[in-house]
Amino acid sequence: MRSYALNKVLQYIFVLIATSVIIFVLVRLSPTDPVAVILGGKQSSAETVANIRQEFHLDRSPVEQYGIWASGMLRGDFGTSYQYRQPVSDMIAQRMPVTLGIVILAMVIGVAVSIPLGIFSAVKRHKWQEGILSIVFLILVACPPFLTSILMIWFLSVHAPGFSFVGSATTFGEFLQRISLPALALSFSLIAFFSRVMKAGMTEELQSDYFMAARARGMGRNAIIWKHCFRNAIIPVVTITGLEVGILLVGSVLVETVFSLQGIGSILISAVQGSDYPVVQGITMLIVFIFLTISTILDIVYGLIDPRVRAL
Amino acid sequence: MNDRELRKEQMRSFFTAPVIASGVILLLILVCSVLAPLLAPYDPNAVDLPNTLSPPSPAHWLGTDATGRDMLSRLLFGSRTTILSAVCIVAISAVIGIPLGLLSGFFGRWADKIISRACDVLLSFPSLLLAFVLVAVFGRGITTVVIALGILYVPMLTKLTRSMTLVEENKVYVEAATSIGFSSGHIMLKEILPNILSTLVVQMMLDIGYAVLDLSAMSFLGLGVTPPTADWGAMLEEGRILIAAYPALALAPGLMIVVTVVAVNVFGDGINAFLNPSQRKLPSRRRFLRMVWRQESLERIPL
Repeated sequence: MRSYALNKVLQYIFVLIATSVIIFVLVRLSPTDPVAVILGGKQSSAETVANIRQEFHLDRSPVEQYGIWASGMLRGDFGTSYQYRQPVSDMIAQRMPVTLGIVILAMVIGVAVSIPLGIFSAVKRHKWQEGILSIVFLILVACPPFLTSILMIWFLSVHAPGFSFVGSATTFGEFLQRISLPALALSFSLIAFFSRVMKAGMTEELQSDYFMAARARGMGRNAIIWKHCFRNAIIPVVTITGLEVGILLVGSVLVETVFSLQGIGSILISAVQGSDYPVVQGITMLIVFIFLTISTILDIVYGLIDPRVRAL
Repeated sequence: MNDRELRKEQMRSFFTAPVIASGVILLLILVCSVLAPLLAPYDPNAVDLPNTLSPPSPAHWLGTDATGRDMLSRLLFGSRTTILSAVCIVAISAVIGIPLGLLSGFFGRWADKIISRACDVLLSFPSLLLAFVLVAVFGRGITTVVIALGILYVPMLTKLTRSMTLVEENKVYVEAATSIGFSSGHIMLKEILPNILSTLVVQMMLDIGYAVLDLSAMSFLGLGVTPPTADWGAMLEEGRILIAAYPALALAPGLMIVVTVVAVNVFGDGINAFLNPSQRKLPSRRRFLRMVWRQESLERIPL
């Protein structure tokens, strides 16, 4: 077990370093000159340009620049935005609650709905309930979160014009109201994904020999499902949770745009459009970091629970 | 039951109503996207200011948008952009991903280590994130997005090819080919590849659906096609602001996305069920009883 965990941690560190190098090198490949972005198209004297180059460490060699960036991130300093001349870490800290709120709420809704739904459709295999549910899952998979959000806004604007979902939030209740709709929109695709995995796992368990044996001994079907099958069928769902966190973090970018929320996503997109590289680098690295940390922890926990995984 | 009847039965289990319907829809969409310049009644980018936001009429079957552009023409050209780009994305990922997966599975050792690590690194960027970075660096535009998404789809295909190659290479036919003295290249491309191709085709089919979704997402965020090019995602973004007053502007491209992805999934599942009979649905009760009455062999009923 120790070597398995150590292996995972080493792999985690390797991938983190590799991604940071890739992001850094990619950004340096850009044909856009950072100074032009910082100046915002204004004409400036050579002296100002030289000052700016010094301020943003652009006069150093690329290797030195990478060192400054990487060591800064370890201390929580993500550099300074070209467009806003603000520390990137401050910009992220301001907007993190909205994004994290959406992701966590979407996760909670998704898990709460999809697990019972997945079990139900596995139990009703080959019956009409399964048919209807699989059509619903299929449509949910095909419905991208931004389309779901637009449909929700359309529905609300027609049927409940008073419901406010945009604007700033001052109280926690308002905050929840702002993030509830985006989280709901995001959770739909999550529900489709999780339910299908849960259903596949449960279907397999229901066809297993031990299920048959327990039935033969006179155990009720529901008792077997919850006592034995559930534990086995939930494992694949846990393993894809890490993957899903990443998808939700990026999906949040889409729904934030539709609902005009001030989250990480909206600054990431404006930074991508405006060549604001410190912001792009910082947010990308942060999302990769969150995603990798959660998946590594899940992998190690998974190894703890199921010894068979460690051998792989 | 002889072979011909069995094959007939197999074909019948493939051509179910949903698979036929989705196949027809996909074919229609493909025809529309290829023949868009011939089918479209108007230039998709021609602005017609006197006729903005007109409702559906004989002149404009689906009405016009906020700048008077014909919606039907834009939808047709949009399907051209979206579908052809999606096919390109999957083609790029297949051309890079499948050979890498074969190499990594067949040779193992350092080739496998390097390729698997590279895949891990690429997979550490969740969903569209790497595409965002690439667009930030190389500027927006459909070419950047297609290449970026093509790269994004490589690791999954590589991992699938690799795991299937690992299974296949322990089979007797590979051993036989090795003992005859065929080269590694011959065994990979002529022996293993044809055996795993069917599963890869199903995966690529499903990938086209995901590519449509991802492309639309990029265009929706304003990182994909440059205006005024029509694309379902971009049209959705244009129609979004007017959703309360003119819902059709956003609903039409949205519906196209959903229909296409559903059709791709149904068709992909159909091929999958055809290739893996254990995943087929049970025959209907009526057909089942008929089979029993006729005392046909029940072996081919998937249970």
